[in-house]
Amino acid sequence: MSKNVPQYDVVIVGAGVSGNLIAKELGLAGKKVLILEAGLEVPDSREEYMENFYLALAKTPEAPYPALAGRQGSQVNPVGVLPDPSTLPTPRATVLSLGQSPKTSYLVQQQPFAALHPQDPKPQNPPADDKGNVRGLQFSSTFERNGGGTSWHWLGTSLRELENDIRMQTKYQHAVDWPITYTELQELWALAEAEIGVAASTAQQEPLEVVGLQYPPGYQYPMQAIPMSMVDQAVSNGVAGLQVPGTLPDTPGGGDPTLYDVFVTPTPAGRNSEPYDDRRVCAGNTNCIPICPIQAKWDPTVTLGKALDTGNVTMSYQSVAYNVAVDGQGDTQNATRIDYYEWSRDASGAISKVSKSVTGKVYVLACHAIENAKLLLLSNNWKGIANISNQVGRNLMDHPLYLTWALAPQPIFGYRGPLATSGIESLRDGEFRKYRASFRMEIGNEGWNFSKGDPYTTTMDFIQGTNNSNVNPPPGGSGQPVRLGGLKLVQQLNNIFTRQFRIACMFDQTPLAENLVKLDLDEKTGKPNNVDGLGLPRPKVEYGLDPYTMEGFRMAAYVCTKVYEQMGATEFTTNGVGGTGDFTYQGKNYHYYGAGHVVGTHVMGPEQKSSVVDASQRSHDVQNLWIVGSGSFPTVCTANPTLTLLGLAFKSAKSILASLGS
Amino acid sequence: MTRTVPPAIPILDSDIQDFADMSAALTGFQSSVLKPALDPVGLAREYYVFAVQQVGESAMATLVNAYRAIKTQPAQQIADTLLETSGASPSSQAQLAQSIVAMWYLGSWYVPGVLGGGGFAPPPLQVISSAAYTNGLAWRVMQSHPMGYSQFTFGYWSQAPGPLSSFGVNTGNGGGGQ
Repeated sequence: MSKNVPQYDVVIVGAGVSGNLIAKELGLAGKKVLILEAGLEVPDSREEYMENFYLALAKTPEAPYPALAGRQGSQVNPVGVLPDPSTLPTPRATVLSLGQSPKTSYLVQQQPFAALHPQDPKPQNPPADDKGNVRGLQFSSTFERNGGGTSWHWLGTSLRELENDIRMQTKYQHAVDWPITYTELQELWALAEAEIGVAASTAQQEPLEVVGLQYPPGYQYPMQAIPMSMVDQAVSNGVAGLQVPGTLPDTPGGGDPTLYDVFVTPTPAGRNSEPYDDRRVCAGNTNCIPICPIQAKWDPTVTLGKALDTGNVTMSYQSVAYNVAVDGQGDTQNATRIDYYEWSRDASGAISKVSKSVTGKVYVLACHAIENAKLLLLSNNWKGIANISNQVGRNLMDHPLYLTWALAPQPIFGYRGPLATSGIESLRDGEFRKYRASFRMEIGNEGWNFSKGDPYTTTMDFIQGTNNSNVNPPPGGSGQPVRLGGLKLVQQLNNIFTRQFRIACMFDQTPLAENLVKLDLDEKTGKPNNVDGLGLPRPKVEYGLDPYTMEGFRMAAYVCTKVYEQMGATEFTTNGVGGTGDFTYQGKNYHYYGAGHVVGTHVMGPEQKSSVVDASQRSHDVQNLWIVGSGSFPTVCTANPTLTLLGLAFKSAKSILASLGS
Repeated sequence: MTRTVPPAIPILDSDIQDFADMSAALTGFQSSVLKPALDPVGLAREYYVFAVQQVGESAMATLVNAYRAIKTQPAQQIADTLLETSGASPSSQAQLAQSIVAMWYLGSWYVPGVLGGGGFAPPPLQVISSAAYTNGLAWRVMQSHPMGYSQFTFGYWSQAPGPLSSFGVNTGNGGGGQ
């Protein structure tokens, strides 16, 4: 082939939400597209992944997906025998490796505080610095590296952002504005909702006008809403009339004493309430995370199938991009080629790799917020590209997730239906956003599965006479917890399980330049400290929380307790000390989980000097390079990110087509 | 689904039946649920074989013989006796009985006597099979279905489930057998 004629119109790195959508749109327009996917191909049937899930000792988000390279030896996800990331071609961040050393954790990051201070007589949390920030925390969100990407295990939550979510600086003098109008986002959401097949009713969402949620006149979702669960109904009835103030006393910087209504609304969901796109109706498997057994929930493989059906899209699996070659300087740079390793693994587990290159007119990086940043930083001999702003890898955000749980006063029958069908969205906006992080509250239909690993923990407590669940305290306050068998065991477990529920609060975390992902290189020698199985430097993460975000936690804990009190429920929330995700704020301990909503590593903005991409997710520096996905979000906002990142991918596809002259 | 193939060790059908009847008393479920006359899954045999592999034939035989000696008593009494629910600390035989209850409830093998800690159950040694997972009794106890294996249809979650008695629980207090 000629060296001067690109092999493809567009080369996309990553077969997830954004990459697949852009491939489909460009394929439909007759463009020749190649997708380089680092991981394994999408299996013909998800039965294999289901089997992995059934047999996994811990049903973590990663449990169904191939843990090891190649299909051989991947049948289980053993606790305690985690693979060494330096032996894997596509290691990923996993829940089971959180808080672990780089020997098992792909992400290189700070160890939990108690592990770093084994001499302390009692475990402690890291102290705050003089600005009140807590540094040295763990980034707790994980991701997949296989065909279809992390959104194999998205929940399906398809909320729209609020108008004030994207103009925080203008409205509340905090964080930054998005470089895009709300009107344009509404158009993009409509496209994304049709692609996914979102089930919701605008009439049911109408009460959220109090937080600024509005739809264009006459807009209707593609299909009827998902019914509220019995848990939702109990919370909705139980909180009737509840109001909470915008801030609590002693909030740094000021206060918002306004009273806000607490109420429940059904959650727009990317799962079928009617047959759609030849996929089945939801059967309430209560397993959206880690895997929908029947694909009633949309996932990126649906869109990938449509992309391949165009006949213009080619897949290259097991192809790990490691360099985007760039010519030129300043504003006149162009990407000329992507170098990648095509890897394979033999029966003995030995990895072999072949270095290859591919050319296109346009290049799209769509391989996850952390992997996009890693690839940009790996390029140009690990000196980085598209980084005039020095923001590549910075502003790493998540929805830090605060989990609370309780027993309802009567059976409300959790563990039934999709994992979550409603939430409290009524506290997502208000003047308080000047002083503390806003949050949404997701009501779970999965008992204490997330909270305590149930049904396992409570069941074993009543069989063995332990009290890990805190629902089997010693009778009378002393002695041993009870051990039960027979009908007594059935009745006691029934009494507990049918009353369990939980609320997860997710915060609009402040973007901070010092929360970042970078290459794990020795600062003096520039040589890698930790590598993957292909010899590539691994991502190193630095993370912490600021007082604005932590004040959100304090408020969320208050609101959850109020909700439980109002319902007559008994709260069982506990927070650890010294471990992964543990921190202290104003003398109270909290624990955060990752939400998997990884955001902000290549933020969009109007200016080259302060942002990585423009509103089309096109690099400010490299003219034919688009860097797409949730990494482009300037802030994490108050809605789960998938709907919006899919919407932004539509915008990118349109701008790519325009740049190709069609 | 792939299935665990039981090894070729000589097992009497009567041993399996007694194991199932004992398991019914221990778990509070009907024996006909654990071991139907026409059994498409074969969990009773699978569990019996698995447990024998873990603890040895002699420990299992001792437990089943202890059951045989009291099998005409009411089910709850059998469970309380074999699990030693009123004793200060369970004997190794009672701990084996606990592991058998856990196996039926959670489809996994918990090593007898290994307790959890730090707020969570002990890690099981193994999920015995995918059929073991999808047939766990814990899901029936909550009047639901295994997570990832719904037998219900769209929208069921907006209404109350059927009564606990419709999920195979032995709500009477008859013998552990039929």
